[in-house]
Amino acid sequence: MPLEILILKTSGDKNLAAVTVKLTGSLDTATAPELERHLAPVLAGPVKHLVFDLAQLKFISSAGLRVFAAARKQLKERSGQTLFVNMQSQIQEVFEIMKSLPGVAIFKDEAELDAYLAVRQRKHLENQ
Amino acid sequence: MTLELHATPQEVMRAVEALQTFGQARQVAERTLFGLALALEECSSNIVNHALQRDAGKTFRVTFEHTGSTMFIELRDRGPMFDPTQAPVMEPAADDDARPPGGWGIQLVRRYTDDVRYMRADDENVLRLIKHMSPNNGQ
Repeated sequence: MPLEILILKTSGDKNLAAVTVKLTGSLDTATAPELERHLAPVLAGPVKHLVFDLAQLKFISSAGLRVFAAARKQLKERSGQTLFVNMQSQIQEVFEIMKSLPGVAIFKDEAELDAYLAVRQRKHLENQ
Repeated sequence: MTLELHATPQEVMRAVEALQTFGQARQVAERTLFGLALALEECSSNIVNHALQRDAGKTFRVTFEHTGSTMFIELRDRGPMFDPTQAPVMEPAADDDARPPGGWGIQLVRRYTDDVRYMRADDENVLRLIKHMSPNNGQ
């Protein structure tokens, strides 16, 4: 099963720049390098919130988890955050087994994610 | 069913897809099949990346068996002797940044199978993954 990657920039505030990455298919040993290649220019930019929409992700292995972990590490170093939304139950179970990404935020849908980002945006503006 | 596979990531996923087709044809539950596919991906990737060093000229073999109540997956490679069942169990870390990147695969294999057996036979690493299922629901 191939992996389709769709990258969407979703925020105009450069200090809270958010990018959504929609993944469809299988994130595995054959496709993880492809995601790494797509993320490299994104992570080279000013992104602070990286949102992975996993609604259509059917399979993940440790190769895929390592890509998420590397992105999380880079964002953490710039006080950013990696977020996950619409995770299917079997994918969430793999995350839970591995406890691979402690501290990442997982949201059940876009509404929950938007509410969280709105609070972050408000706090950011209050602190300016 | 036995597959002869070249030591590439694409061949690993060919094995995974063959397992899914094999399991679906035998009414193995989707959740069980997901776990077995993941276990196969992890073990095969380990062979390709470490035992065979991604040398596409080298091959390994994967065999699937289904008895009705049990699924068996056997992997054979001619790489250096390596027993993944001896890998230490990792404790959850407070911060994964402090954790080495390797070792995640065998954790997943242990979780999604009932037994993992290793032996060295005829200069081959032989790894056998075993999953017991209820005959009624395939889980």
